[in-house]
Amino acid sequence: MIEAKNLNLYYGSFQALKDISMKVPEKSVTALIGPSGCGKSTFLRTFNRMNDLIAGVKIEGDIIVDDMNIYAKGVDVDSLRKRIGMVFQKPNPFAKSIYENVAYGMRVNGVNDEKLIKQTVEESLKQAALWDEVKDNLKKSAYALSGGQQQRLCIARALAVEPTILLMDEPASALDPISTSKIEELIHELKKNYTILIVTHNMQQAARVSDHTAFFYMGSLIEFNETKTIFTNPENQQTQNYVTGRFG
Amino acid sequence: MTHFEEELKHLKQEVNIMFALVRTQIAKAKDALVRLDKDLAREIIQTEKRVNAQELNIDRDCENYFALYNPVAVDLRYLLAILKINNNLERTGDIAEGIAKFLIQTQQSFDQELLTSSQLLKMFDECVSMMYEIEDAFENEDTIKARSIFKQDEVLDRINLEANKNIEAYIRLHPDNIEQALYVLSTIRKLERVGDQAKNIAEEVIFYLEAKVLKHTKKV
Amino acid sequence: MKGRTKKRVAELIAFNLFRIMSASIVLVLFSILAFIVVRGIGVISWDFISKMPEEGMTKGGIWPAIVGTMCLVAGSMLFAFPVGVLSGIYINEFVKDNWFKRFVKLMTNNLAGVPSIVFGLFGMSLFVNTLGFGDSIIAGSLTLGLLALPVIIRTTEESLKSIDKYHREGSYALGATKIQTIRRVVLPLAMPNIITGFILSIGRVSGETAPILFTVAAYFLPKLPSSMFDQVMALPYHLYVLSTSGTDMEASRNMAYGTALVLILIVLILNLLANFTRRFLNKKIKQ
Repeated sequence: MIEAKNLNLYYGSFQALKDISMKVPEKSVTALIGPSGCGKSTFLRTFNRMNDLIAGVKIEGDIIVDDMNIYAKGVDVDSLRKRIGMVFQKPNPFAKSIYENVAYGMRVNGVNDEKLIKQTVEESLKQAALWDEVKDNLKKSAYALSGGQQQRLCIARALAVEPTILLMDEPASALDPISTSKIEELIHELKKNYTILIVTHNMQQAARVSDHTAFFYMGSLIEFNETKTIFTNPENQQTQNYVTGRFG
Repeated sequence: MTHFEEELKHLKQEVNIMFALVRTQIAKAKDALVRLDKDLAREIIQTEKRVNAQELNIDRDCENYFALYNPVAVDLRYLLAILKINNNLERTGDIAEGIAKFLIQTQQSFDQELLTSSQLLKMFDECVSMMYEIEDAFENEDTIKARSIFKQDEVLDRINLEANKNIEAYIRLHPDNIEQALYVLSTIRKLERVGDQAKNIAEEVIFYLEAKVLKHTKKV
Repeated sequence: MKGRTKKRVAELIAFNLFRIMSASIVLVLFSILAFIVVRGIGVISWDFISKMPEEGMTKGGIWPAIVGTMCLVAGSMLFAFPVGVLSGIYINEFVKDNWFKRFVKLMTNNLAGVPSIVFGLFGMSLFVNTLGFGDSIIAGSLTLGLLALPVIIRTTEESLKSIDKYHREGSYALGATKIQTIRRVVLPLAMPNIITGFILSIGRVSGETAPILFTVAAYFLPKLPSSMFDQVMALPYHLYVLSTSGTDMEASRNMAYGTALVLILIVLILNLLANFTRRFLNKKIKQ
């Protein structure tokens, strides 16, 4: 169960998120859409406390993940992040081999059993639909892969630490259409086992991949509904204007 | 198979259900008429609600797919065709319901001689057979079969043309049974429209498979 | 149409200006090199490289000066590289962006601009006298190391800063700690650029005369050092001696050019080596 409760977020004196409350449905895809600067990426990053890395961020309200308020005192951020995988806008594999990229999360979390690591690497790459393309080149540098393959590697890397939630921050915006549709297909597969939150600038992508869609505007959650409803009969006029391209 | 392809496959199943429903309605209308089975007629009227619900169901699916997947090329033509086919089938369902509604008010069984001389039963059979054929053509993406519908429709047209003369002849012989004769004539007119709907469906199937617009042109 | 022609003419003039400028720089560089090679190549021989200087440095070789310079380069880098890289990491990764950080950065930049003779004097007073190392390899190395520090710190800092934030975030997102992230993700990516700073400082250190003047360099010492507390001869200082205060300057004139040539060659070889390392690291990342 993931839920945001009355969440406010400030960058210094600027309020980037205004009183957001939202329950994210499990084992399905929730898309966050809205014009640039609407707070959707910031909101996504509150779930694994990625905003902590930015100086001057202040957060009020709760984020509940598996019955635990992750902003409570004494929460171990490193182990929280292990449970919540994240995929970024730009493919960002490490300067390591394909194998070591996927193994990285386990190694930094203290897994030493090489047999277990090997097995998990293979499983993760299979889940990310990359295994068949790389199984003979696991020792090669991750940078030798194409952009789309790199992004799937990053997904495999996130899966290897066995998260329950996947955060995706515009995962296909740097990719060509073919790689994009591969990622989208992958998202459809992954939602059987993971709760996925995806930020996207591309409304069609939100329409194609998500089950629920949240529309953000100027730091507020304007409408949260089934994706079908958002794109055929949105309740809010602002949502309608946005999805029809009349503003934003 | 991509996710969208799966969705389209699902939609096709829904349309197949619609085909089967409507075809059965026509076939049942024939049985109800031949036997003057009022219970069957009532069943047809009940089932028409299901037909309408299924129409809305398919319409809504199409709307979602248009909104969510931005279909292009063959997918776009496919969805457009389904929207129209769906409409054609619903009208066909209405015709079956119209026949059934009349049967409920009818008191006397139909005169066998009238049914034979007017070729009404032949027309029913022809309609059901056309429905089978067009369903098959849609199911198997078979444009050759779809084109054969136009030929079959000519049979219906001929029966329809001859109907006036046949009914007139019957009325001269049985001036006491004019009401039934007129009813049979109007049913023939209705079934002629069933043929037209089937023909429209055939046009849509060809449109989506070959991207050829056959409407308002001489058929090949 | 007219405006277009005018634009093209202006473009042509600008391009040619750039061309002439860069050509003249290359020309000057090659003249200096050619001058030294022509004058110096005559004295270069195996004996010149491998023998001790003889007869008041008018005969014999420059072997101890070569060894001395190598020792000083190695010593100064052993000191400056780890210290510089660690400082760079500290400043970029751990210090919050406040007045202290800006102050440290300003001071580092100032340090880079201090004349090398000042380093020499500082090294003499601290390492030679106060710490009592005497004129020695260690005193010279530390002084040269101090000179190289700012460059290494700055390049480390800059190369760390240039690493895309996505790499760090990618590591944090997997539950890695800050230290793990820096050590396993950031540093490997920054290493090629850090090595570039390393190369630049090697070039600078091996050619400096002033800092070693009072801290290590011997005027004439025809033997190899046996410990890091020994004095040594060094190529730049030897060159200085030969051309300004030798026993017989006319007789050693050509030897001076030979020494200069050897110094240039050594710097070149070290540069190539470091460059090769950088390429190797870069390749390792990319393949």
